[in-house]
Amino acid sequence: MELAQERDSGTNVISPAGRVDGSNSADFHEALAAAIADDDSRVILDMGGIDYISSAGLRVLLLVAQRLGGSSTPFAVCSLAASVDEVFRISGFNQIITVYGTLDEAKAQLA
Amino acid sequence: MSQPWRILVVDDEPDLEPLVLQRMRRQIRGGKYQFEFAGNGLEALEKLRADDTIDLVLSDINMPQMDGLTLLSQLSSLNQDLRAVIISAYGDMGNIRTAMNRGAFDFVTKPVDFDDLQITIDRTVEHLRQWRDATASRDKLVTLQNELDIATNVQQSILPSDFPSTSEYEINANMVAARNVGGDFYDYVAVPNDRMFATVADVSDKGIPAALFMMSSRTALKGAAIGTGSPREALVEANRVLQADNPTLMFVTVILAVYDPHSGEVTYSSAGHDPPVVVRTDGSAEQMPATGGIALGIAPEELFTATLSEHTVTLAPGETLILYTDGVSEAMNVEHEEFGLARLLELFVDKAPENAEEAMNAIFDAVAEFAGEAPASDDITCLALHRSASP
Repeated sequence: MELAQERDSGTNVISPAGRVDGSNSADFHEALAAAIADDDSRVILDMGGIDYISSAGLRVLLLVAQRLGGSSTPFAVCSLAASVDEVFRISGFNQIITVYGTLDEAKAQLA
Repeated sequence: MSQPWRILVVDDEPDLEPLVLQRMRRQIRGGKYQFEFAGNGLEALEKLRADDTIDLVLSDINMPQMDGLTLLSQLSSLNQDLRAVIISAYGDMGNIRTAMNRGAFDFVTKPVDFDDLQITIDRTVEHLRQWRDATASRDKLVTLQNELDIATNVQQSILPSDFPSTSEYEINANMVAARNVGGDFYDYVAVPNDRMFATVADVSDKGIPAALFMMSSRTALKGAAIGTGSPREALVEANRVLQADNPTLMFVTVILAVYDPHSGEVTYSSAGHDPPVVVRTDGSAEQMPATGGIALGIAPEELFTATLSEHTVTLAPGETLILYTDGVSEAMNVEHEEFGLARLLELFVDKAPENAEEAMNAIFDAVAEFAGEAPASDDITCLALHRSASP
């Protein structure tokens, strides 16, 4: 699974792209885990490039959130495509994971 | 010839033993079942400790010395791979619910209908067989594909197929598993006052861990649905059970509805799942309002409860309620287009379904035709509840 990454004074912005479903959720998890460092001060997942995410993909986000929660590292996702936003809304994940409209909003507000 | 299933019947009524032996004589003679009997929970425990080949415990609830519910809570300490089915008085939902919460696989009501009992026993031992395959294979670290096949079998073994059908309404349901996934299920259970709970659910992820989580979800939902008339309350309770012990962060989205055949009222609540669709008698269809809610197993009780509501709609005679998983709406064709909710809503414009089976067939045919050669990427599950046009 390809993902772009940018670190700026402790803020780790990870931007995966493509489709996440049961067939590649393990890769997705591995790639995210490798992209996160213990000394990141906060992690933002820019989902703008994700056009589909299945429940297996959502579970990966939970596992990432749990890991970051364990070290009290702020974590949020942003820039959800309309279809992904709908999945978040229906599944109730928008109640569990912090969601911002844009990357700029996430950078300005996530603390 | 495989070994007979060994069944321990626990009941303080001496009449039951000759009755079971008489009514099950064909299965006993055919080597399918072998029965043992105990008069109360204590006696049953003694037998189980002395004999670790018992597969199924069929127990009454009210007995002297040790009752069935206490027996159930002791079974887990036996470290023995068996399943329990409870025999209870008709309408004794409080005890049935407690029994399910203590791990009973299923229940039958008194007076015992032996055809029904046999179906329940068959389903339970079939499940046990799949379960043992699954756990044995997990121990052997089988290849992924084997694991998925086993998960799919566990999944199939819990789906009921004796669909309710009365002069007032009927239910039909189906689940078509995708090759690499095993996560959807449907279920229904009768509750007091002739009402019927129906559910469709979608477990995150795949493989044996997901199949095991599916089993816990099914039992938690069934246990919670019994004894409450409120889908919302049932979801809150099921979430509490599943969230209490969920280190792998599995979750399940659920639509749970209770139907009152006398009024035609359906009350539903959704834990992170698409709301139901109602098909009118003129063939038009609409999606019902969402009820908030978060998938079961991951949200703390306070948050889960705060975000969840329930909604009531009335089915007019001839109307059909459809519960479905996103395997229907997100089924894809070779061009990677989704089937979509709109296609589902337009499916019946030429002809409203006259019964539940007709609605199911129309949906599965339409999805199969749309998908064409494209392999299914998700399980496809649907349940239809049809209110008769003229009772």
